[in-house]
Amino acid sequence: MSRILLADDEPAIRKVVRDALEREGHEVVSAIDGREALDRFDDGGFDLVVTDLAMPRVDGLELVKEIRRRSPLPILVLTVRNEEREKVRLLDEGADDYVTKPFGVAELVARARALLRRGDSARGPALSRFGDVEVDVESRTVRKAGRPVHLTPLEFEILATMLTKPGAVWTHRQLMAAVWGTTAGVTNDTLRVHMGGLRRKLEDDPNRPSWFRTEPWVGYRFSPD
Amino acid sequence: MSRVIKGSGPRWVGYPAAVVAVGATIGLLRLFPQLNESSVALLLLLAVFFCASIWQSGPGVVAALLATLGFNFFFLPPLYTFTVQDPRNVAALFVFLVSGLLIGRLSAISRRRLELLEAERRDLIALTQLSQGFLADTNRESLLGVAADRLRQALQCREVAILLPNEKGELARRVETGGIAFREELAELAYRQGNSAALPSELGGTDIYLPIPVGLQRAGTLVARGLQSSERMAEACALLLGLAVERERFLGLARAAEETRTSDQMKSTLLAQLAHDLKTPVAAARGAIENWEADSGGSEASRAAAAQLDALGRRVAELMDLVRLDSGAARPRVERVTCAEIVEAAVARFGEALAGHSLYIEPPPANLAVEVDPAQMTEALGHGLENAARYSPPGSTIQVSVAAVDDQVFFRVADRGKGVPAGERDRIFERFVRLEDAAHLPGIGLGLSIARSLVELNGGTLRIGDAESGGALFEIALPRAAA
Repeated sequence: MSRILLADDEPAIRKVVRDALEREGHEVVSAIDGREALDRFDDGGFDLVVTDLAMPRVDGLELVKEIRRRSPLPILVLTVRNEEREKVRLLDEGADDYVTKPFGVAELVARARALLRRGDSARGPALSRFGDVEVDVESRTVRKAGRPVHLTPLEFEILATMLTKPGAVWTHRQLMAAVWGTTAGVTNDTLRVHMGGLRRKLEDDPNRPSWFRTEPWVGYRFSPD
Repeated sequence: MSRVIKGSGPRWVGYPAAVVAVGATIGLLRLFPQLNESSVALLLLLAVFFCASIWQSGPGVVAALLATLGFNFFFLPPLYTFTVQDPRNVAALFVFLVSGLLIGRLSAISRRRLELLEAERRDLIALTQLSQGFLADTNRESLLGVAADRLRQALQCREVAILLPNEKGELARRVETGGIAFREELAELAYRQGNSAALPSELGGTDIYLPIPVGLQRAGTLVARGLQSSERMAEACALLLGLAVERERFLGLARAAEETRTSDQMKSTLLAQLAHDLKTPVAAARGAIENWEADSGGSEASRAAAAQLDALGRRVAELMDLVRLDSGAARPRVERVTCAEIVEAAVARFGEALAGHSLYIEPPPANLAVEVDPAQMTEALGHGLENAARYSPPGSTIQVSVAAVDDQVFFRVADRGKGVPAGERDRIFERFVRLEDAAHLPGIGLGLSIARSLVELNGGTLRIGDAESGGALFEIALPRAAA
C-alpha cells in the first residue's frame, strides 16, 4: 500500500481518480490546488504525487518545480491534448510521467503503478527481457526470438538507456543527453532515425511499435508490457 | 538660393560709405607730406581692403577705382592732374589698381563664405532640434500639434501649414500657424505629383510648397510662407517631417498589433476554459463508469454508456477545435520539422483508429522539411488517417507517403475504399456534411473541415482525389522548407 498525494481543482475528477487509486489499495490525500498540495506535501510520508496541470493559485508546473526542489518523489501529471510544449516543460522540470485527458482510469492506474514500482526498485537491475527480446547489457548482445540481432552502437545505447526505466517517457532532450552525452548538434530527427533502426530490428511491426512508442512531439516511451 | 545679408544695413549704403572712407583716407594722408609714394599706396590699399570686407564686392570695386584716381591725382607728379609723368609710375599705378580690385574681391569672397558657413551651422542646429522634437512625440496628435510651430522656428518663416490626406485620400489641412492663406492648387500638385513650388512672397522672402516624402511616396504637403532660410533647409525639414509621420504610423501599427495580440490571448484563454468546462463532466462521467465497472463488473448497459460518452467527448473536442479555428485563437506556432516526424507523430496519435487496417508507410525522403505548427499538422494528417480507416473496408491497406515536387511537399493518405465521387469532393469539406452511404458511421462531419482549416492556417492546401489503389486520396500540399 502506498500513500498518494492528489491535486486537482475539479471535485468530479478528484473523486474518480481517488476511487480508482483507493481500489488499488492506496491511501489518497486530496488537495484542491497546488498551494494546498504543497502544504500537505510538507506533512511527508508520500510515495507518489498525482497532479492536474491547470489549477488556480499554484498550477501543476509550479507544483512540480517546488516538489522537485525538495524531493525525488515520482510525479504524474494530468494534461490535455495538443499541449506538447507544456508536456516537454513538465518533464524537463522533473515530472516523471503524464496522462493526457480524456484518459481512461485503467491507463491512469497503470501509469501510477509503474511509477510506484520504479520508486520501490530505484537503481535496481535494469530489465533485460521483454517480449521475445533478450538483452545482455554487460556483453552488449541482443537476441530476438532466440536469434542474435546486430545493433549499431547508438541503437544499443538508446536501448540500454531506455531499459533503465521501464514504462518511462523520455523527452528528446533527455534521451539525447543520456545517449550522446550532449544535446548540441543532435536533432530530434537524428534521434528519430536511430529509433527507427532500433524498431526495425526489434519490433514486430515497426510502423506500429508496441515497445518503443512515439509520444508525439514530446519524445519516446519504452513500454515493455 | 535666396539669402539675406545681415549686419551692414541695406546694400546701397556701401557705395557712398566706400566713397567717404576713401576720400577721408586721402584727406588724412595729405596731412603728412613727408610720406613717400609707396607708403601712401600701401595705406590706400588698406582702406580698399576694409571697404571691401565690410561692404562687399561692389563698394570694394568703387573704393579701388577711387583710390587709384586719388593716388594719381593727389600723390603722383604732376600733382592735381590725371597725367603720369614718370613712365615707371604708369606700371605702379596699374599694379595698384589690380591689387585694389583683387583685395576687394578676395575679402568679399571670404566674408561671404563665412556667412554661408554661419547660415549652415544655424540650419544644422535647427534641424537637430527639430528631429529631437519629432522623435520625442510618439503619437500623431501630439506630433502634429507642435510640428507647425517647430517648423516655423526652424525655417524662419512667417506661417506654416501641414497638409495630410484624410481617410478618403483627399489632402486636408491638419495643422497650421496663424490663419495661413495659401494656394490650394500648388499644395495639391506637390502632394499628387511631387512637384515643389517656390515663389516670391508678399510677406517677404519666399512662399514654398513641398511634398513631404516617405520613401518614394508622399505623405502630404508642407507649406511655408515668408520663408527666410534656404529651400534646401525647407526640403530637409520636409524630409524630417516625413520620417516623423512615418515613424508615428509604425508606432500606431505596433500598438494595434499589441492590442490584437492581447485580445487573441484573451479569446484563447476563454476558449481553453470553455473546453475545460465542457470536457470535464464527460471525463468524470466516463471515469465513474469505469470505476463502477471495476467494482461491480461491466454490463451491456455500462459499455454502451461508456461508448456514448467517448463519442460525446470526441464531438466536444471537434466542436472546440472548430470554435478555436473560427475565432482566430488557433494561431500556428511555426517550427521547422521533418516530414518524417509529422508522419510518425500522426501515426502514433491516431494509430488506434487504424488498428483494424494494414498500414503501409513509405519512408519519407530524408531531411525533407516543412515549416508548420507541428501539433496542428499532426492533427490535420490524423484526420486523413481516421477518414481513410472509416471509409475503407476493415483489413484493407492504408498507404501513407510523402513526396517532394519542386518547392512543394505532398503528404498523401491513400485507401482502398469506394473513393469520393468527383462531384462531391468540394462538398465533403463543408461542415456537418456526410455522404449518404456513410450515414450509418459515427461522426458528425467536421473532421475534413477542421483538417482543411488547419492546413490552410499553415500555408498549405488540402484536396481529395483518386488514389492509384482505387480508393480516396487525401493530399496535403505545403511549401517545402529551404534546406
